[in-house]
Amino acid sequence: MELLQYTIRKLLAGIPLILGVTFVSFLLMVYFGPDQTYQLIGKNPTPEQIAEVRAQLGYDKPFVVRYADYLRELGTLDFGFSDSTGEKVSVLLGRTIPVSLALITPGFILGNLVALMLALIAAHHRSGWVDKMIMGLSVVGMSISFLIVVIAFQIVFSSSYGLGLFPVRGWNVHSPGDYFAYVAVPTMATVFVALGYNTRFYRSVIVEELTRDHVRTARAFGVPPARLLYRNVLKNCMIPIITRIVFSIPLIVISGALIIETYFGIPGVGKVTFEAITSGDQPVLKAVVGLTALLFVLAQLVTDILYRAVDPRVSLK
Amino acid sequence: MSVNAASVAPPAATARGRRQTLWSKAAWKFRRDRAGMIGFGIVLVYLVAALGVWFGWWATGWAEVHGGKWSPVSGEYWFGTNLIGQDIYQRSIYSIATAFEVGLVVAVLSTLLGAALGSLAGFFSGRFTDEVVLWLMGVLDSIPFYLLVAAIAFALEGNAYAMHIAMISTFWITTSRLVRGEVIKLKNLEFVEAAHAIGVPEYTIIFRHIVPNTLHILLVQATITFVAAIKSEVILSFLGLGVKDGMSWGLMISESTLEVLAGFFNNFLAASVLMFGLVMAFNMFSDALQDALDPRKVS
Repeated sequence: MELLQYTIRKLLAGIPLILGVTFVSFLLMVYFGPDQTYQLIGKNPTPEQIAEVRAQLGYDKPFVVRYADYLRELGTLDFGFSDSTGEKVSVLLGRTIPVSLALITPGFILGNLVALMLALIAAHHRSGWVDKMIMGLSVVGMSISFLIVVIAFQIVFSSSYGLGLFPVRGWNVHSPGDYFAYVAVPTMATVFVALGYNTRFYRSVIVEELTRDHVRTARAFGVPPARLLYRNVLKNCMIPIITRIVFSIPLIVISGALIIETYFGIPGVGKVTFEAITSGDQPVLKAVVGLTALLFVLAQLVTDILYRAVDPRVSLK
Repeated sequence: MSVNAASVAPPAATARGRRQTLWSKAAWKFRRDRAGMIGFGIVLVYLVAALGVWFGWWATGWAEVHGGKWSPVSGEYWFGTNLIGQDIYQRSIYSIATAFEVGLVVAVLSTLLGAALGSLAGFFSGRFTDEVVLWLMGVLDSIPFYLLVAAIAFALEGNAYAMHIAMISTFWITTSRLVRGEVIKLKNLEFVEAAHAIGVPEYTIIFRHIVPNTLHILLVQATITFVAAIKSEVILSFLGLGVKDGMSWGLMISESTLEVLAGFFNNFLAASVLMFGLVMAFNMFSDALQDALDPRKVS
């Protein structure tokens, strides 16, 4: 009951955020965004034809009405039809979001798990050569642009100039084997880049926890290092770690795969979004931005509830 | 960073017997950080290269088409030539200046904006100003970065600074959050109370007395933002949302995507290696700066 009340209160508190995000994005993308009138119209249009197309696109309505329409669409999750392909936006997203999820999930999980392990090892050997090596490598990882990693990995693993192990681009998945082949190189690139940032962040969280009194006490009582790290340190570090992981999910679902999908030609939601940006496909853009904002509010809610689950001292009041 | 540097105490007073300040201690600590000094040195070398481009001493022929398609490395074309016969060496050197321009503009402006809004929110924490700033941060944080850049680029109708504006409008948030937290701590200290007591106006207290005390955060954040700006430029230029006129590593890499699958790697390597050098050096410099300026940081 307490949880339900808390959830409702949190969702209500998310309303100003959703209004803000939708308003800013509406202003930028729709109101000042690309005008599609002349793409849909023939040569030498009469003023009546122009007015007709503008009415069809809803450009003639006042700002407030158009914004209210958008909010209604967001509430019913019915965004109408894509301007460029004519496909229903909800169908389009339903087709592309699973592809993006399948593409990103392995890299996201591996990138966090491996980074956490490396961070524990580094923190355990703090100031030793193992720590210095891991941290040095993570600065190197942080310094290489994601785009460069993607291109380099494609050359090394996929192209005929490298190992040629995996398909160069595309997404032609019919069996688990196909899936592995197409997802391997993007996953390696994602993990490589994620490791630099994540390891550094997790290590700093863990090292800070290691300097606390209760850890020293546990050490003095002879708790073995592995159990100490797992039970006395890792559990206490869960709050910043959960925050980082959950808050990166909304961006990953929607735009995280944008570079990978455009570069590898994978028909996921990132590619759709990018094409919508460049062609000014407003129904799609409105859907993507609105859904991201909703996911952010949900992410906030989920983190707050998870805080409670990992740390009983946190109250839901 | 290293244990030696931390365990050796700085000299109690310098030879000339000047007073020790927090800044002189930080400078002393920074100079003992080998990785940081190396990084700083490399950044200076890049800066000289960028200055040379701005003053027109070198890399002036970056847009000229001579040499044939994909000439190999030679005495005339140090890194070979690209698809249409432009000198890759000159283009990659010219791009250093672009990187510094993007990095400096974005780092300076987003740090100033973050300092101003963060200190206002912190000083008036819990009040209306604070709520508005926090709401704005939440809103801008929830819009996917690339979508925001694209939207700003379209709204400004292809303005050459659309990319800078988009980066500034997202990068100030982290700085602002950190400054806000620090100001909330500072505003309860005695010197602020004293300033209140003798009737110093509120805004003078904030900007003359409190903000200078967050300078260590601002310096470190500015270096972090500088790196983030250079890295974002590469991706945005690849997506066609970045540098409009001129040359940049991002444009070179985006050009090279047409070449690498045909087996010509010079463009890609030149841009990647030069960019990696600058970003790596700046990261090392930034880390050392953080260690030197933040007495509480556990490393």
